[in-house]
Amino acid sequence: MSSLNHNSHKPRRKSRELGSAASHGLLYTDPVTQEKKPLFPLVGFLGPAKVTISKWIIFPIILMVVGLFRWATTFWGYSGHQKPPMFGDFEAQRHWMELTIHLPVSQWYFYDLKWWGLDYPPLTAYHSWVLGKIGSLVNPSFFELDTSRGLESEELKVFMRASVLLSEYAVYIPAAISFMRRFSHSQGVGKWDFLIAVTAVLMQPATILIDHGHFQYNTVMLGFVLASMSGLMADNLLWSCVWFIAALGFKQMALFFAPAIFAYLLGKCVFPKFSFGRLVSIAVTTIVSFAILCFPLLLGSLYNYRRGLPLPTTATGTPPPPLLSDLPFDIPDGSAIYPFVLQLSQAHHRIFPFARGLFEDKVANLWCALHTFHKLHIYPSALLQHVSLALTLLLILPPCIILFLKPQRSSIPLAFATTAWGFFLASYQVHEKNVLLPLLPMTVLLSGSGGLALRLRSWIGFANILAAWTLFPLLNRDGLAVPYVVLTLLWAWLLGLPPVSWHLYLPGRRVVDEPGLHWAEAIIHSAFYIAMVGWHICEAFIAPPYNKPDLWVVLNVLIGAAGFSLCYTWCLGMLMVQSGYWRNPFLSKPKVKFQ
Amino acid sequence: MPEAIYPTLVQCAIVAGAFKVLLFPAYKSTDFEVHRNWLAITHSLPIQNWYYEDTSEWTLDYPPFFAYFEWLLSQCARWVDPAMLRIDNLNYDSWSTVAFQRSTVILTELVLVYALHRITASSPTKPTTHTAALSILLSPGLLLIDHLHFQYNSLLYGLLLLSLHLAHRPRSLLPSALLFAALLCFKHIYLYLAPAYFVYLLRVYVLHPGSVVRIRLANAVKLGTGLLAVFAAAFGPFAYHGQIPQLLTRLFPFSRGLCHAYWAPNVWAMYSFTDRVLIFVAPYLGLQVDPDAVNSVTRGRVGDTAFAVLPPIHPRTTFLLTLTFMLIPLIKLFAQPTAANFHGALILCGYASFLFGWHVHEKAILLVLIPFSLLALKDRRYLGAFRPLAVAGHVALFPLLFTPHEFPIKVVYTVLWLVLFLFAFDRLAPVSPKGRVFFLDRFSVLYLAVAIPLICYCAVVHELVFGTRLEFLPLMFISSYSALGVVGSWLGFMVVYLAD
Repeated sequence: MSSLNHNSHKPRRKSRELGSAASHGLLYTDPVTQEKKPLFPLVGFLGPAKVTISKWIIFPIILMVVGLFRWATTFWGYSGHQKPPMFGDFEAQRHWMELTIHLPVSQWYFYDLKWWGLDYPPLTAYHSWVLGKIGSLVNPSFFELDTSRGLESEELKVFMRASVLLSEYAVYIPAAISFMRRFSHSQGVGKWDFLIAVTAVLMQPATILIDHGHFQYNTVMLGFVLASMSGLMADNLLWSCVWFIAALGFKQMALFFAPAIFAYLLGKCVFPKFSFGRLVSIAVTTIVSFAILCFPLLLGSLYNYRRGLPLPTTATGTPPPPLLSDLPFDIPDGSAIYPFVLQLSQAHHRIFPFARGLFEDKVANLWCALHTFHKLHIYPSALLQHVSLALTLLLILPPCIILFLKPQRSSIPLAFATTAWGFFLASYQVHEKNVLLPLLPMTVLLSGSGGLALRLRSWIGFANILAAWTLFPLLNRDGLAVPYVVLTLLWAWLLGLPPVSWHLYLPGRRVVDEPGLHWAEAIIHSAFYIAMVGWHICEAFIAPPYNKPDLWVVLNVLIGAAGFSLCYTWCLGMLMVQSGYWRNPFLSKPKVKFQ
Repeated sequence: MPEAIYPTLVQCAIVAGAFKVLLFPAYKSTDFEVHRNWLAITHSLPIQNWYYEDTSEWTLDYPPFFAYFEWLLSQCARWVDPAMLRIDNLNYDSWSTVAFQRSTVILTELVLVYALHRITASSPTKPTTHTAALSILLSPGLLLIDHLHFQYNSLLYGLLLLSLHLAHRPRSLLPSALLFAALLCFKHIYLYLAPAYFVYLLRVYVLHPGSVVRIRLANAVKLGTGLLAVFAAAFGPFAYHGQIPQLLTRLFPFSRGLCHAYWAPNVWAMYSFTDRVLIFVAPYLGLQVDPDAVNSVTRGRVGDTAFAVLPPIHPRTTFLLTLTFMLIPLIKLFAQPTAANFHGALILCGYASFLFGWHVHEKAILLVLIPFSLLALKDRRYLGAFRPLAVAGHVALFPLLFTPHEFPIKVVYTVLWLVLFLFAFDRLAPVSPKGRVFFLDRFSVLYLAVAIPLICYCAVVHELVFGTRLEFLPLMFISSYSALGVVGSWLGFMVVYLAD
């Protein structure tokens, strides 16, 4: 362990290397003792890393620490734990492993849809197949066809939890480190700040709680998105396409980012000078990756067809998807292409369930908030779909246009975050868990220039704490209230955020040449934090009135939707200021200029 | 004001505390029920029945201060879940009971944080002491034993370190002695360290510094009355009811075997291992093999240990060996009664009792590990002796937790601690003023290298190859390997101690 002041005794060159432009912003001088202190505790924890930068030591340590917190979260409840008859996400994921290893590929999207029928894109199915194969080696009873439904043995739990952790370490963590390294490097951020940002991102409470508590594989999809963003950072546009198709192929929710990545790539082809070759190669790469993604699925259909085996609709008794009859042309079910069209249209039908409602459960987006005051289900579903599409387009157009006109690397996280917030707030069929998507590009801003300084840290922290807070009703149902409190407060404490530390919003602990927050920002943030704490107190101790049993949940949604709208606005504003489209003294540029 | 070092003790305690809260629902051993039962006993029975109560098989077998401590906790427990305080409510572990008992472990750990804070604050070599203090606070031993397995060692070691800290200054010798006496009344395992205290106090506090035959009467009286008061406070109520013999049979159950259920990594583990090997070799050497003993060596069961080839071991043998190896450092301490020598002698007393004692728990390695951590950074020779102990002592604790869900926690946490602190220690330990012992360096490197394949074998390979057969084999390998490390580090430290 070393003292932070150690730096001052070092030769000058060294200190410049370590303490880059933003770095000295991490220490402040105590007015009483004149001692240099870390601005927030996480800086203190990585203090030793400032002098002993050996990545061979520091990275394994960070990865082990974040891994331990993840694994410790797995001791708590999960979605559907001891909740027959249907159980929850845990059972869904387990069931997909069961069905993929026992059934022919052609039946995956058709088999017994009432019991957690597969409704994720093919890459999730292949992932489940691999895990199912491995799990069956460990214990064949984990994934016995039909008889293993609702299994909750201790051994199975450990296997499933470990599969989430290992998938995350295989995809998300390398991608996150790669993206943040390229991003911080392109912004001239020092190594030490980069390490602090990496640790902060990997300790994000909402992501840990959903994947390792509630139980899902979001980090795999998020990891592919980060890999794609990392490709954009390195100007590896083709790889970026491949990774993005992988993300989409794992979880359709990656569509939140699709317009942004499309706009960026298109912009890259058009500006500064139109490049037809680039456009074609991007298009071809995308189509080929997509074809490879669907290839095993179609190969299964081909196999069936050549062998003369019955169609999956006949084999499983599932009716053909409505999409098939909506096609403008008619395909007789005896024709050679019918099995393939059937397979793809069924997958599409399963993955994009437009038959479901405008929003799922209670989610802090505009529709659910609006629904509180004006019931939306009186309108026809088609109308709602169109309105939601129009509003989503309206929200995502500004960031996409900016990205198209000025496809610069420094805009990527902000533009991605803005687009994803737009989708989250206004699109159709949004889950509360989807907040992880806009949160990710916003949080990686920590590794950018000025990322750990006052303004960005306060907004990123605000979004993260608010997101975790809107997830609380869900987490509480899963028996995850304690990990929620622990991980969220720990993160808030590490990054010096309310409700643990209010120094961001108070004068005193200020670094010399740093612009402070605008008083309006300070007041709005503080109001939200106070509302969140107050809400928790009310929710814990006051029963909702008899005629409004959902009062607390509804309040949570309203506050959340308001806060997320602010996040959208802020991201858009920052993006405009930063790309030079808006000169606004209110969102004044940080001293350290974005490149 | 001295410059703070980051991360501070309190910061580390906060992060570790968050992690420990997350571990609330994890595996807990029967010790959890033991402590729940003690809460029930002390809460619902009059004091004269405490050491007679035997509804549960986990009778009260800690000294009275610990019983008082449980009584104090039970006063709070009443408000949390009164059901845990019923004696007949065996194996009761409602969520609130678990949360309550686990939180008391975390809260009482603050004593350790305080002790470490005192030690660091007054240290002349702050960066090194700070690192050593963090290594104790974050010790995997304490995490596994206290926060998973369930015990209150952090509290007790906090008291021990506080007493050790006070012993370093002549002015606070008396409080140090009384604190140690109180600690003995919490848990009598610390009797193993008492000889070092006895010799040191006798020489420095009771006898005249100039001549060993002159007694400083005032000091002797102060110490005597103090000790008497402490012990009276602890044992007085029971002496009043005439229960001291009953109490002693509870505290010292002599009917146990040489080796504990899991083999503690000491000399007897090596002895048993040799015996096992000799079963196969004996026919060629013309040695007698006792056929009854071949299948009965302690296999994860408490009981008498029978050896097939080697002569049996009597309690008296272990006692004499322990005493002999305690005497060596104590003689030096008597001759040169410095605080540093006292600290070293204390560690060596811990070593001797752990290595040669009768029915030693693997958990008792903390008696050596924790005081040694504070001395490991004195110079590189000390570090050389400490390294194999740090590996062996923690690896030896692995069999305590055998459930698959906890496996990553124990392994990753221990590896993290070893990487972090062995690296930090290596950077911080000053060069030794005297020559280093060549053998010791090579030994510790080789020793570290063997740990990885061994853990892999015991965790995965053995089960794949043998299934459930030969279950004792991984345990035996781990304890023999660890025993080698502990013995190696003991020899190394003994040499350094005597040479200094």
